Amino acid sequence: MSTDTRKRPAYAHLFWWFMFANGGGLAALVLPVHILVQGLLGPLGIVPVVDQHHDTWISVLGNPIVKLYLLVLISLPFFHFAHRLRYLLVDFGVHAAKSVPAQVIFYGGAVVVTLVTIWVLLTTAPISFG
Amino acid sequence: MPAGWWLRKRHYFMYVVREFTALPMALWLLWLLFDIKSAGAGPAGFQPPRSTGFVIFSAVCLVFAMYHSWTFLKLAGVIIHLNVLDKPVPPRLIVFTMFALWALASIVIGAVLIGFGR
Repeated sequence: MSTDTRKRPAYAHLFWWFMFANGGGLAALVLPVHILVQGLLGPLGIVPVVDQHHDTWISVLGNPIVKLYLLVLISLPFFHFAHRLRYLLVDFGVHAAKSVPAQVIFYGGAVVVTLVTIWVLLTTAPISFG
Repeated sequence: MPAGWWLRKRHYFMYVVREFTALPMALWLLWLLFDIKSAGAGPAGFQPPRSTGFVIFSAVCLVFAMYHSWTFLKLAGVIIHLNVLDKPVPPRLIVFTMFALWALASIVIGAVLIGFGR
């Protein structure tokens, strides 16, 4: 009987931790200002904000750099959220949250959000460099 | 663990709040996706986000998002280990840098969101 003691790098583990850490970091760095400006200051009329008028919003959404930024902004944090909420359920005694089906649901949900975001960004405003 | 363990100590409670921040932030980002999608409805069908309910929702989400930022960026000093000229960078300097980055990113993104508005 032979035993292979060599360990292969845990690429899958590395990938999910990369997504978790960077998703959390991105949300920490940029999400509060989006909520403050687009969720409070704009709707209250304190400052002009890009998504308060259709012409300015659709114009900005056509920019490919903005599309890429919004894709990362929306999708990456969901991998962080999926991990946190799954383990919060485990902490509350929901041991099924550790199972493979639960992992598929939570991280698969983040993948679904990513795909929907790509679809929305590609179909909402035509790409424009203007 | 016994039910209600997270209510027994403040430290446990704040840990749960920290983990829970994911839910309101996720909801707000889903709203942002909806806001983007609604632009595709054209000028007549577009409803700018101005309702009182949305403002209250955003205010609640902002509190959780700020708490996430505070706790996550403070951890940077523990998680990130850097050496410069073979000397370790002090954790306090790493945390300070992360908070400075937060301020800078907020100013730049805020300026873009407001600057392209009318």
